[in-house]
Amino acid sequence: MSSSIIREDSTRLSKFDQQLFKLESWFSLIGGITISMLVALAIANSLGRWLFNLPVTGYIDWVEQFMAVFAFIGIAYCQRLGGHIRMDILLSLMKGRALWVAEWASTLFMLLITAVLVYGSYFHFYRAFTNGDSSMDIGIPIWPAKLLVPVALSFLMLRLLLQLWAYSRAILLGSEQPVGVPFIEDAATQANREAESLGAASEYDKESQEQS
Amino acid sequence: MIEFMSTAEPLQIGVIVSFVMLIFVLIGVRVAFATAGAGFLGLVWIFSAKMGFEKGFIVAVKMAGTIPHSKATTLSLSLIPTFILIGYLAYHAGLTKALFEAAKRWVGWLPGGLGVATVFSTAGFAAVSGASVATSAVFARVAIPEMLKMGYDKRFAAGVVAAGGTLASLIPPSAILVIYAIIVEQDVGTLLMAGFIPGIVSAFIYGGLVVFLALMNKDLGPPVRGFTWKQRFESIPGTLPIFFVIFIIMVCIYGGVGTPTEAGALGAGVIMAMAFYKGMRWSTLKDALMESSKLTVMIFTMIWGVLLYVRFLGFADLPNAFSAWIAGIDQSPYITLLFILLAYAVLGMFMDAIGMLLLTLPVVYPAIIALNGGPLVTAADSAFGVSSTGCAIWFGIIVVKMAELCLITPPIGLNCFVVAGVRKDISVQDVFRGVTPFFAADVLTIAVLIAVPSIVLWLPSMM
Repeated sequence: MSSSIIREDSTRLSKFDQQLFKLESWFSLIGGITISMLVALAIANSLGRWLFNLPVTGYIDWVEQFMAVFAFIGIAYCQRLGGHIRMDILLSLMKGRALWVAEWASTLFMLLITAVLVYGSYFHFYRAFTNGDSSMDIGIPIWPAKLLVPVALSFLMLRLLLQLWAYSRAILLGSEQPVGVPFIEDAATQANREAESLGAASEYDKESQEQS
Repeated sequence: MIEFMSTAEPLQIGVIVSFVMLIFVLIGVRVAFATAGAGFLGLVWIFSAKMGFEKGFIVAVKMAGTIPHSKATTLSLSLIPTFILIGYLAYHAGLTKALFEAAKRWVGWLPGGLGVATVFSTAGFAAVSGASVATSAVFARVAIPEMLKMGYDKRFAAGVVAAGGTLASLIPPSAILVIYAIIVEQDVGTLLMAGFIPGIVSAFIYGGLVVFLALMNKDLGPPVRGFTWKQRFESIPGTLPIFFVIFIIMVCIYGGVGTPTEAGALGAGVIMAMAFYKGMRWSTLKDALMESSKLTVMIFTMIWGVLLYVRFLGFADLPNAFSAWIAGIDQSPYITLLFILLAYAVLGMFMDAIGMLLLTLPVVYPAIIALNGGPLVTAADSAFGVSSTGCAIWFGIIVVKMAELCLITPPIGLNCFVVAGVRKDISVQDVFRGVTPFFAADVLTIAVLIAVPSIVLWLPSMM
């Protein structure tokens, strides 16, 4: 995992960040497990159909339910690790307070749009809940999947509030490396970390050390 | 100001909001939220102009609120996480070493043999991992030490590895082609099939280039001989999962015996079983699952964020207006296409390929279709010699190849930086020099793909 890019210390902010990160990590793991459940389901469906002419009942309905889980549940975890794509060419030219002010403003914008989407997606859920909408094939209720959207986005709001707090603190204190927020990395560091996430870097480094 | 806001035409709103969205992106707002935010603000503006702010705002909120769930649960998107999981498990299935070893034994005898082996093993690993930059990082550790030990030129070795990573996106499984297919509303399977031949051809062009360079300059790299046929065949079993993944995807889609998601799931199942066989533990699997979950959520968030913006664009009618403008330019369509591709080359230097495509395609894709002669045009009447469906597929392959080219384009080609980052004894300038022949070959490949669309369209046409 790439959590090492975020500074931690003993401040209240950092403790809160770590607690929230634990919860977000669990959510992300649930997302990952749901992906493997999708894999298992699709294998069962294809093999069942090919070998016994017996596909999984309600396969498409279940896939759609799973998708709602892994599409949203890790959204705050991804934000915590700076995983959502952005163009950082201007930000990488900034330093110190100017950088934190820019980060603060962009985080605030994200917070506002997320709040709007929490509200809107709650309406979407509420309609499905009151109408008793269910899936096409085997009639699974759809509202739990729709409820997941505002819930996951609410956790994202919490994460964004925490990041606003961290950037505000950095602006006030003029700190070089604030706690609880990801840093912008140069191209090589970023790419190396990506390779590490494939599990490769550490092992080969170990091997080359042993050889030398 | 207020008067202008309430009387502005949808098209004016479209242009202004798109401009604001680009500023959001430029100042570093995460692309998914910059597009979703701009899309929402645009909807508010358009509806407020029609029905007053209070009512318009609520309508926009409710409309925006339906998009994340409805778009993220589109069935064809279910393929993406299976491809991502394959990518994260590919390393743990022991595929990198097995591939390089097998390639070395089979093609090492050629001039520049280890370079050719690197090209084919990176192509294989990049195809299943789907991660260009990470592939270069991994092979900088696997292949460069072996090449240097055999007396290969270090610039050449670094260049081969940096370029080899770019072969990730065309050979199936390719998540980026799936995303392209979803955004332009084309069949996912067709796009995956279309990428196969250009991907394989690119790998062979790289391989041929290595042989040619080694023949021209004997100091670049000697052949590696002495492997028996027995040793060659013994190296094959370790690489079989890769061939299985590519094979099952081709069979499911080409033969129509399964959906792309089922093919992806079968591939992921085999790679996971192989990783367990190679001793993968729960902690590694857990990391792979969490990383897959993170990347999946990132891509899905971008997709619904962009589609919220697309919903607004539809109301503003901006894509049609832009298409009409592009189609009306009084010059050869090929020149216009060239400018569009150059714009991608510049943008690709600053942005991840998936982000770049999602951000631009909603406007650029209809323009390309218009440039070709419109959505109903036949191949005979079109500007590029392809029907409108063919144009969608052909442009997808070209633009993805273009995005990969950006990874080795100076001054900030990411693959070159990562190779230099891993190998402290090789400077970035050295890698860029080493990669130059491959860059030139890629430019030529793109030119050939533009000139001869049938290279892309032949395989899908056989389906």
